[in-house]
Amino acid sequence: MKSEQAILLVEDNDDDAELTARAFKSARLDNLLVRVRDGVEALDYLLGKNDFAGRDVSDLPAVVLLDLNLPRLDGFTVLKTIRADERIKHLPVVILTSSDEDKDRLAAYDHGANSYVQKPVDYDRFVGAARDLGLYWLVLNRPAPPRPD
Amino acid sequence: MNADPHESTSRKFAAILERSENGTSEDVLQEAYELGRWAWGQGMGVVQITILQYESLAAALERVPTREMTGQVVRNAALLSAECFSVFEMAMRGFQESNAALTEMNRKLEAANRDLDSFSYSVSHDLRTPLRAIDGFTRAILEEHGDKLDGEARHLFDRVRAATQRMGQLIDDLLGLSRITRSPLRRETTDVTALARRILADLAEADRGRQVEARVAEGLVTNADPRLLTAAFENLLGNAWKFTKKQTQASIEVGKEQRDDGDVFFVRDNGAGFEMEYAAKLFSPFQRLHSDAEFPGTGIGLATVNRIIQRHGGSIWAEAARGRGATFFFTLGAGS
Repeated sequence: MKSEQAILLVEDNDDDAELTARAFKSARLDNLLVRVRDGVEALDYLLGKNDFAGRDVSDLPAVVLLDLNLPRLDGFTVLKTIRADERIKHLPVVILTSSDEDKDRLAAYDHGANSYVQKPVDYDRFVGAARDLGLYWLVLNRPAPPRPD
Repeated sequence: MNADPHESTSRKFAAILERSENGTSEDVLQEAYELGRWAWGQGMGVVQITILQYESLAAALERVPTREMTGQVVRNAALLSAECFSVFEMAMRGFQESNAALTEMNRKLEAANRDLDSFSYSVSHDLRTPLRAIDGFTRAILEEHGDKLDGEARHLFDRVRAATQRMGQLIDDLLGLSRITRSPLRRETTDVTALARRILADLAEADRGRQVEARVAEGLVTNADPRLLTAAFENLLGNAWKFTKKQTQASIEVGKEQRDDGDVFFVRDNGAGFEMEYAAKLFSPFQRLHSDAEFPGTGIGLATVNRIIQRHGGSIWAEAARGRGATFFFTLGAGS
């Protein structure tokens, strides 16, 4: 088991991606933050396909931070796909999005999200949220072990 | 023509029945039938006419001695029944048509609601994201390049951040207002005393420096949507809390007055108040009666409360004087 686990950030907006990276850095969580631009790239990364062919797929991220408002595959479809795939279905997925709409939250949990966090507009609170997220999912939470054969 | 058509027609039927003692049953049937058609033309309800016609038909048939139950009588009775049924059929068709119209209207409302949903969705995502960028990168400038900036420059950036906070709050409030408009209304018996006390306790907890004398009447109960009522009280009590901040002896009171046409709840404070001549603006969105510097706010709170009260079928009004506090009165409609 790797001691340095990655955080997979699925975020199409460059501003938000940079702010998230800065927030994690501010929160002194220097874990490897891998940013992909949409759901297709996210699944490629997780399953070692296309641009990520050859990646060691047993090295799963500690947590996936998933935006909902994505081009090509929307966030819910990505989540559904993750939960349907034997190899990655237990991956912790935190929906990290601007919306606080009831229907988004309900759909997130219906599709099997572990958690739902609204991105604060206030940057200080954003940093705080990043720190809390990081501490919880990287340090406190224990991911699923590999299945015995 | 103010007489109740039902009553006068009933009297006419009664008169027919009385005469049937003496006249032939055929005449009775004929008269009842014609009266029914006339009443229908007058716009009386088909159910009422049909009941009356059946009643007179039944009464008339009862009076017919069996030997006089001629073919003609039977035929007329059958005609009358058929006429009643066809009137029923017309009414049913009418009901079905208005049902169809209602269904169509429902469909349109649902489409409009979906549009509102996607508008809110848009606002949620598309407005908040660049706002976050403005706030975040401004902060990044201050943190990482603050040493290159003089006090004035830093102050200007602080004002940028303050403005983004304000816009963020406005977005939240607008979305809240839109949500209130769209959510279904579910009435249940609600303990208003407990609700108000809980909100006041939360306000006190979040603002420990302040001493506010809060009085909530015992036994306040109503039949309303508890989530919406909570939002309404949070706004009203939050306002009372806010506008009494300059009083040395701030006091807030929640109670109920019994008036002729029902209970009226009130929230009273002894804070800044406002001039009654501007009261008409009170419940419109974005309209404020105080400057933001004096008392921060977006001007959506009371618009939200107004919407909640309206959805309950009630009404809300205020009485106040500048420097002498304000009282907000509201009712919660017939269902409460």
